[in-house]
Amino acid sequence: MAVGGIRVATASPRAGLTGRVRELFDREGVLGPLFVTPALIILLLLVAYPFAMALYFALSNAFIGRPSHLVGLRNFINLWDSDAFRQTFQNAFVFTGIAVAFKVVLGISLALLLNQQLWFKRMIRGAVLLPWVIPTALSTLGWWWMFNSLYSVVNWTGIALGIMDPPGPNWLGQKYYAMAAVVTVNVWRGLPFFAITILAGLVAIPKELYEAAEADGAGAVSRFWYVTLPLLKGVLAIVVLFSTIFTFSDFNIVYVLTHGGPINSTHLFATLARQIGLETGRIGEGAAISLYLFPVLVLVVWAQLRFVRKQAY
Amino acid sequence: MDSPTRRQFLATTSAGLAGILAAGVPPARGQQREISYLCWNNFAPASDKKLAEIGQRFTKDTGIKIRIDHIAAPQQAAKYASEVQTQAGHDIVEMRMHFPWLYEPQLVDLGDIVGELEKKYGKALSAATETAKVNGVWRAVPQYRTFFVAAYREDLFKKASLKVPDTWEDLYTVGKELKKMGNPVGIPISQNYDTISTAGPVLWSFGGMEVDKDGKTVRINSPATEQMIEWYKKMFRDCMEPEVLSWTDASNNESLQQGKAGWIHNPVSAYIVARNNKLVTADGINHHRSLAGANGQRHETDVPRHIGIWKFSKNVAPAKEWIRYLLAKKEVYDEYIMSGDAFNLPAYTNLVDHPVLKTDPKFAALKQEGVQFHCYGWPAPPSDKIQLITNSFILPNMVAKAVTGTPTKEAVGWADKEMKKVMAG
Repeated sequence: MAVGGIRVATASPRAGLTGRVRELFDREGVLGPLFVTPALIILLLLVAYPFAMALYFALSNAFIGRPSHLVGLRNFINLWDSDAFRQTFQNAFVFTGIAVAFKVVLGISLALLLNQQLWFKRMIRGAVLLPWVIPTALSTLGWWWMFNSLYSVVNWTGIALGIMDPPGPNWLGQKYYAMAAVVTVNVWRGLPFFAITILAGLVAIPKELYEAAEADGAGAVSRFWYVTLPLLKGVLAIVVLFSTIFTFSDFNIVYVLTHGGPINSTHLFATLARQIGLETGRIGEGAAISLYLFPVLVLVVWAQLRFVRKQAY
Repeated sequence: MDSPTRRQFLATTSAGLAGILAAGVPPARGQQREISYLCWNNFAPASDKKLAEIGQRFTKDTGIKIRIDHIAAPQQAAKYASEVQTQAGHDIVEMRMHFPWLYEPQLVDLGDIVGELEKKYGKALSAATETAKVNGVWRAVPQYRTFFVAAYREDLFKKASLKVPDTWEDLYTVGKELKKMGNPVGIPISQNYDTISTAGPVLWSFGGMEVDKDGKTVRINSPATEQMIEWYKKMFRDCMEPEVLSWTDASNNESLQQGKAGWIHNPVSAYIVARNNKLVTADGINHHRSLAGANGQRHETDVPRHIGIWKFSKNVAPAKEWIRYLLAKKEVYDEYIMSGDAFNLPAYTNLVDHPVLKTDPKFAALKQEGVQFHCYGWPAPPSDKIQLITNSFILPNMVAKAVTGTPTKEAVGWADKEMKKVMAG
């Protein structure tokens, strides 16, 4: 008993301390922030800090490896004088608008197709994700070969089928074709994201609604228009939101495929920012190019999230 | 001798560790002399292998470990920018053309090494000096140079009894025939550096320039530029195919190697790759001297490469030792140059007639007698603004606009406006 007594005497404060810690962790006000802290630290380090640095660079005359000072909005104002920048500004909207529109239409179509009872359904659904999974730079290199003037398999096929006159379109050397090429690759790459996300939305729609619509005499088009589309609005808004941001900030596809050419006709903000900021050392101007659309994108995000909330409640 | 007690061991090691931490310097026995060197993937791959081999010998001879990393040329600028911004990375870096001007405040003064090399090999070549000596200080050591030359399908020329061109005008004459034969002239007109490497010499040969030698006055809007544009227009129309508008730096090489192009403007790498890979076109490819303009002057693009040491490096002394080992030992430098198959040529005057030029009869034209060599932007001295004009591809885009329908004066006026904006910025 004596030994047991000693045990009790030493164990008691420990149990008290553990108990107090446990009690502390049981409080929501302590545990909540504790769980959020690691994510917050990561966000601060990987998002907030680089963003603050980019903001500082954009407002300064920063040049690689040299002392810099703040110049206010001069970089943003000067950029508008640049022909290449104005062209890039226009390209970004054309590229994003066309690419997102195609991805919405094709994404819905593909999702509807994947929602049917198909043989090898799982395998097909997995295969659809491939363009999304393959590293963009690598797959774009494949596309570059397909559009390359010397080796173009696209032109070779078109000529062989008699639908193109030799030597075929100059895909990467003519501005409209070049834009079509980069949009095509972006749509090919982004389509799986749309299709799979919309498919998830489709699966969640209760079958009873379709049965009720069918009982009321609604055809396939009416069922899609009055049942499917309204119930997909929320998912679509989120997908379009993400895709708009990703497409505006695309880099790999243009960098590998056209390098921004011909005559700057496919430059996007990211590729021009790299050219100015890194290749010529003008980090300030490069950062300003990157951040030019930030206010617009913030507005887009705000508007779309507001729309999503309205849909949810 | 008694073995130390646990207490003695702990006391001794703790004191030692505290000493090292306080001094911030590891003990001599623990100091690993190690340097790192970042360079591009050379278009003559054998020279990269040779570099690795020399690196191993350097370690054996000096005890200094060297790590040589390679990177594709288009990635160099981004990598260097990140190293400078973070003040961390490699000790030694390979620098192309104007890089020493871009990174001037970050580079160690290497005048001592260049002085030793110039004593041994003669003065550094003009383009190397213009680009590595920044405001009177050698910010990098000239390592080697690569220059452009005319590469053509000699077999096709002989078959069609075509005269080897001597002027840019002659090229138009033979170019028309080449296009008819299905072997067009391959001069890129796109947003890449090979386009500038040809547009520059054509412009200079017509007597034009982008910016004057004062480095401030934009001179692109001139009759010489208009003549140059007119030449490009007729070349594009009659001697080339529209594909040149989409070309990358490698496309003209591939076009010649794959048997399509009959004439290109490029360093010898196009031939070297064809020869080393035993392509069927290799035997038919040869080179000729760079072309002259209307005034008889021959201008050519020089691409000097240098070695620099970052100021943030903690290994400046061993890094200098490596540069001396590679460049100041004549037998090692010769060995390195020989491995480059005449793509990497010496950057010093006394070595211009290097034995590497005799290793293949097709290198004979590389003597380039009477040819003046310059870097991009000549005659303006290198600066960040000249670099911005170059990297914004204003010259290639001016030509591209003109050959795709923009009136000559309008295209030249556009370039003038863009260049003036850069100079004013």
